[in-house]
Amino acid sequence: MEKILTTCPYCGCGCGMFLHVEDGQVVGSSPSTSHPLSRGRLCVKGWLAHDFIHHPDRLRSPLIRDDDRQIKATWEDALSLVSRRMKEIMETFGPDSLAVLTSAKGTNEENYLLMKLARAVLKTNNVDHVARLCHAPSVTGLSAALGSGAMTNPHRSLISADVVLVTGSNTTEQHPLAASCIMEAKSRGAKLIVVDPRTTGIARLADLHLVPEVGSDVAWTNGMVKVIIDEGLFDQEFIEKRTEGFGLLEEAVSGYTPELVEKISGIPAVDLRRAAVAFGSAERGSIVYAMGTTQHANGTENVLALANLALVTGNLGREGTGIYPLRGHQNVQGACDMGALPDLYPGYQPVSDAGVREKFEKAWGASLPHRPGLTAMEIMEAAEEGRVRGIYISGENPMLSYPDQDRVRKSLEFLAVAEIFPTETTALADVVLPVASFAEKDGTFTSTERRVQRVRKAIDPVGGSRSEGEVAVELMNRLGLESGYSRPEEVMEEIARLVPIYGGIGYPRLGAGGIFWPCPDSGHPATEILHQDSFSIGRARFHPTAHQDLKRDEEYPFVLITGRCLFHFHTGTMTRRTPLLEREKPRPKIEINPRDAEKICIGCGRMVVVESKDHRLTVEAEIIPDVPPKTVFMPFHFREAPANLLTSQRLDPRSKIPALKRTPVRITRV
Amino acid sequence: MRSFLLPRDGLVLFLNDLSKKLELIAPVMMEGEPVFVTWSGEKLALDSENPLASPVEFFLPQEEVLFRYVQYSGRYTFEEEEPRPRMIFGMRPCDLKAVEVLDRIFGSDHLYVDRRRSTVIAVLNCITPGEGCFCAQLGIGPGSEEGYDLLFTEVEDGYLVEPGSPAGTLVLRDYADLFTEARPHHLAEKKMKLDMAEEAVRRLGPQISIPLIEEAIEEAPWEEIGERCLRCGGCSFVCPVCHCFNVVDRGVPDGERLRCRDSCIFSGFARMANDINPRMSQGERLRNWYKNKFVYLPERTGLVGCVGCGRCSRVCLGPIDRKGLLKEVGI
Ligand code: SF4
Ligand code: SF4
Repeated sequence: MEKILTTCPYCGCGCGMFLHVEDGQVVGSSPSTSHPLSRGRLCVKGWLAHDFIHHPDRLRSPLIRDDDRQIKATWEDALSLVSRRMKEIMETFGPDSLAVLTSAKGTNEENYLLMKLARAVLKTNNVDHVARLCHAPSVTGLSAALGSGAMTNPHRSLISADVVLVTGSNTTEQHPLAASCIMEAKSRGAKLIVVDPRTTGIARLADLHLVPEVGSDVAWTNGMVKVIIDEGLFDQEFIEKRTEGFGLLEEAVSGYTPELVEKISGIPAVDLRRAAVAFGSAERGSIVYAMGTTQHANGTENVLALANLALVTGNLGREGTGIYPLRGHQNVQGACDMGALPDLYPGYQPVSDAGVREKFEKAWGASLPHRPGLTAMEIMEAAEEGRVRGIYISGENPMLSYPDQDRVRKSLEFLAVAEIFPTETTALADVVLPVASFAEKDGTFTSTERRVQRVRKAIDPVGGSRSEGEVAVELMNRLGLESGYSRPEEVMEEIARLVPIYGGIGYPRLGAGGIFWPCPDSGHPATEILHQDSFSIGRARFHPTAHQDLKRDEEYPFVLITGRCLFHFHTGTMTRRTPLLEREKPRPKIEINPRDAEKICIGCGRMVVVESKDHRLTVEAEIIPDVPPKTVFMPFHFREAPANLLTSQRLDPRSKIPALKRTPVRITRV
Repeated sequence: MRSFLLPRDGLVLFLNDLSKKLELIAPVMMEGEPVFVTWSGEKLALDSENPLASPVEFFLPQEEVLFRYVQYSGRYTFEEEEPRPRMIFGMRPCDLKAVEVLDRIFGSDHLYVDRRRSTVIAVLNCITPGEGCFCAQLGIGPGSEEGYDLLFTEVEDGYLVEPGSPAGTLVLRDYADLFTEARPHHLAEKKMKLDMAEEAVRRLGPQISIPLIEEAIEEAPWEEIGERCLRCGGCSFVCPVCHCFNVVDRGVPDGERLRCRDSCIFSGFARMANDINPRMSQGERLRNWYKNKFVYLPERTGLVGCVGCGRCSRVCLGPIDRKGLLKEVGI
């Protein structure tokens, strides 16, 4: 038996784990004790992370569509078909009729290669990935406020906080290792404030749990800022020396009295005051948030409001302080870092900057497109309208949650999908390419705390699969850009040359625990805490934010929140094939408050119809006081009842994230 | 039984040669931490903490394929793995005790029994116990007294080696030239070192005894403890005695029937088809975990289901100090 140290393939915490390998089969896993975050611990998904690797459903051979069937093909045939069709579409309709969706599950090297494939070979900036659906507002909002969209401090820094404010994050279930740091802080005596409509695990542990109306984040955050200013609890020195725009903020929040906030959000004014005073008086305060904050039509405003709260109290740049946007995928941070974004090259270097473009053109020996590309949702819309004709999707399943997949499919000329398991999206593909899982390749992931760490190959690719990176290189070669890479390590060397924040990162330096970026050169010790002495934009900026009216729809009186549960991940391609996880949560349920249940006359286990403006589905009811009245919760992992079909497709105008957390629905008995 | 001395530099010669005849499992340093792997000459990690993943997995794998099925042919192919001859070198006394408990539970499971029969266990006495260990309090370590095939204790002159079974004696017979007869002062040294280690465990570890634990189980604030449990399953997965499994079919129409590890801390473990759960809350499930180890298992097997290795506290995601249960109830 061999044991190979690698990084967990699920959430963004980025735990270190060993894969146990016997006779070329992964037969077990165990936590790394020397990994600085894991310290011998994993969550249940991590403990079982090896379980899906040898699943019989794994795609083992490329498939090519023949009418309504997909037929086994050789790699040669599949790859030459993909490159031929891509080329034809590019020549006939122009490069911007193509798009590439990369994967937050892929390695940094793979994301880089796919991004390069899109830009240098297909000549389009239409490249994006799933972050659009989770943390685009963090990137937009935090970059505007602080100059960087990433988590400011490592998780472990939470342990030394005096007050931790958690909002829109079901931390104990979605980021268990982050939760364990918060719990450690609590046992040290820290105060925990949770603002969440649901009584989640972390809310149960809180000293103060505030239950706001879904979507009232800006209001209660502004309210807290106002109380902090009125009570004189703001950090005068920090504001003067390191920020700008405080006057605007003061004015913007002046109307948000706790009493008004109570009217808007339902949070009792006394509780809001208590929370504000506790946070404002803390020596070290931390703000943790996740998709409950970002997945709104005003997601960016929500993030900006939280940034104001951190800035006004001077809670940045020190141990125990900071803003922690928790990312859902193990490498969503890395996919952003690697420029799998329509307007940014790797390392957040803007596509619109001619100097940057020239640098990449020179390095890659290719001319590059000028115009920023389309985001993930825009790509799908463009596909529906026939502006995008060919899509290459690597390791994503956007169709499960896309409302009008039929129309997308009909108007697309060509769809190629690289995946490890059959999904709703591979079912629609013209070519399916079987790719390797995390256990079958070398590379790096960047965790939500900016920790770049190694992924190590434990076994050869299962069946006839190949790594996404290998496929990207092969396509580049076939489409005329001789890339010359033979190992992922060479890709990282190129990244280090072209991406300043990764400048000092190389495999030899990545022992257990990896390195934090920014790390500009090989002698640099890496940056654990951002914004220590200065902000990259000079001074941090306050952005006034305003609450937008929330109206309850008479016809659709419930607000549907979608999210994840502890035992499943995303669309469940891996976790639903892990027997123990599937047993724990075998089917979808919608959580309904007992008071509402009484009104609609349903009991636990009864089936209900859930209808939004355009869609409806049937699902089992779970009557539970963890959701407040008039609010329901449903996980989106299950194809039996794909909750995301119901969710509103209204986009945040700034970051283009869809509003997934506040959908008006109607619920009736079956 | 006779005992022998293996000079320090003889150990690698001994293991090297053995590793050509059978699969030798031993603790080595991997990226800075000790793990049990198939040994092929790496530097041994003998003076570090007992690896987090117990070598018990070589008897009870985390998951095993019982058979594969193919729909079209209606065929089943059974995977009766030929148990391979192995030696586990460097197993600690606590893990050996766990094997003894498992022997009483899986005595009629032929997969387990076959693996057990084909494996030689060479135990290494703990003279530098870890911080969280409490084997001494349970009367299990830091030295082994029985159940091993070979027992190694580090002494000034090398290793004191004591065979404990015919299989162990047989292994030594092939290497007569490497070993010399141990002298009485070696045995005295072993005793002194183990006494010191035991003293250290008792001093540094939690002040636990079985009756105190039984009392604590009855009084612990289980519901509150349950809130702090993040349901990772780690405490069961890492426990060398925990052995519950689930049998599942993976894949349709073709696939495999698996036996994979499970844990009573999960709600699905006891959930009935009608969704009723006899142990509804996480607190109740944790209480059951303890009861099983300290009450039910002793009743059924005569042995306690905890060997004092302290691993469950090392892996706990919630700050639930397993061995500190007594603190939770303020005893
Ligand atoms: S907390 Fe996240 S990274 Fe860690 S084991 Fe769980 S899913 Fe994996
Ligand atoms: S290790 Fe701790 S958190 Fe994990 S299941 Fe056991 S008691 Fe719960």
